[in-house]
Amino acid sequence: MPKDPILRIEDVVKKFGEVVALDHCSFAIEPGTITGLIGPNGAGKTTLFNLITGVLQPDQGHIYLKGEEITGKRPYEIARKGVGRTYQIIRIFPKMTLFENLIVVGKGTGKKVTERAMELLDLVKLSDKKDDYASDLSFGQQKLLSLAQVLMLDAELIVLDEPAAGINPTLQNDLMTLIHQLNRAGKTFIIVEHDMNVIMGHCQNAIALNYGQKIAEGSCDAIQKDESLLEHYFGR
Amino acid sequence: MKRRFGNKNRVWLGIVLLMIFLISIPFFATDYWITLLTLILIFTVYAAGWNLFSGLTGYTNFGLAWFIGSGGYVSSLLIADYNFFWLFAWPIGALFTSIVSIGVGYILLRIKGVYFAISMVALTEGTRELFGTEYLTPITHGGKGVPFIAGIKLPTLYWAILVLAFLTLMICYRIFSSKYGLRLLAIREDEQAAETLGIHTTRDKILAFVLSAFMVGLAGAIHFTYQNYIDPSFAFSIHLTLTPIVMTLFGGVGTVFGPVIGATLFTFIHEILWAELTLLYMAIFGGILMVLILFFPQGLLGWMKERGILPRIRKI
Repeated sequence: MPKDPILRIEDVVKKFGEVVALDHCSFAIEPGTITGLIGPNGAGKTTLFNLITGVLQPDQGHIYLKGEEITGKRPYEIARKGVGRTYQIIRIFPKMTLFENLIVVGKGTGKKVTERAMELLDLVKLSDKKDDYASDLSFGQQKLLSLAQVLMLDAELIVLDEPAAGINPTLQNDLMTLIHQLNRAGKTFIIVEHDMNVIMGHCQNAIALNYGQKIAEGSCDAIQKDESLLEHYFGR
Repeated sequence: MKRRFGNKNRVWLGIVLLMIFLISIPFFATDYWITLLTLILIFTVYAAGWNLFSGLTGYTNFGLAWFIGSGGYVSSLLIADYNFFWLFAWPIGALFTSIVSIGVGYILLRIKGVYFAISMVALTEGTRELFGTEYLTPITHGGKGVPFIAGIKLPTLYWAILVLAFLTLMICYRIFSSKYGLRLLAIREDEQAAETLGIHTTRDKILAFVLSAFMVGLAGAIHFTYQNYIDPSFAFSIHLTLTPIVMTLFGGVGTVFGPVIGATLFTFIHEILWAELTLLYMAIFGGILMVLILFFPQGLLGWMKERGILPRIRKI
């Protein structure tokens, strides 16, 4: 029997007044993959993330996580079912220490949670700053902290909104290495990124959106050769 | 083997000694001092209750007087009209306030920022008007208020509010140093991010709101028993909302002991100025408040934490 996709988007429509942000969008994400979500500004990528995580509700269509419908569920319910996200504009808790930023997300209390928080701070190389306020970190370090928060949640599906934007190449490299490491450990990623080198170099599959419609889907190799996508993206 | 007497034990020893001293005050102090301390303790509970909800979640509750007035009215009416013993009337007043605040919180905590603050002011003002109207006079006695004698002596009342203030601070301490306290802080920092990280923000906010209502409602019941009188214009007055907020700002928002320090300093400064400069005291008091807020926006404890005089990390 074929395995359920970890995420299935079925005929989803989202409108903001007259503007159609997502127009009958459907696709599925297989577990254990890294999928890039590409498209120009206003294509509907962040709206899609907001719908997956319950921040917005679709006007039409269904969203399934591991075969279970999550349409209409509150963001905290979806997070507890295993969907974690980071934001395009970092949204950590600035006046809490790094350690508190992780502890607050962890399930349960006690030694197990504190050990896990320290483990994750080690993983993102921030353990020496554990008692600093998150606002004291650099932009790139804040991105790493927000990823650690998602890992603290023990999310199986992680959606990252422009993870590589605005950070230096070394930190970007560290971040992508970490994503691959987590992917090998079984985590599924969907990444929105404008830097096509990041998408083509690190994702197995890609989905392209334009004006809220899915215009291409497939392996990164195939996507690169997709004539209609090249036309939309580069006007040729 | 010689055991070290650690910092934690020293703090507890200090708390026990302070409590023994505070408990013994009615045996040697004059009624003036007992009254002054009673008021400090009442306002400590108001400020700590406000801080528990607003200091942690960032939802500014400008309707604290609604908690105070509701708790005060229910217990005062039970004592005055139904001859309830004060010890039973007080918790009933607090319970009533907290039960009603579940509904209030469920509706009003959906709105944020200034809209929440204004809606709480509107609720308090509306209740004040309603309690004074002829329609509710058979129950509330209308605008003329309810004079009553609960038959409680000043030292007993002082001990009761001392116990309540102690328990309130202990509860605040436990919450501030718990994961629940961190979740409330996360709501203050970024509510939507908190929710997408699995925090049930609505439930956590309502719980803090109801806890705050219970503590403040109970202190309100004690406050009006101490006054032997309640009327809508004072019970639901903006003064009862603003004073605890200013006290908390004075001591340190989002800290456990900020409200105690704020309530104590505020009351003493107020008392000294009133006694020495009766005609000018409000103007000078206002000036002092402005200077403090300008130079110590984090409050006294916040300022000490910023400068490393107190540790800035929370104990979890």
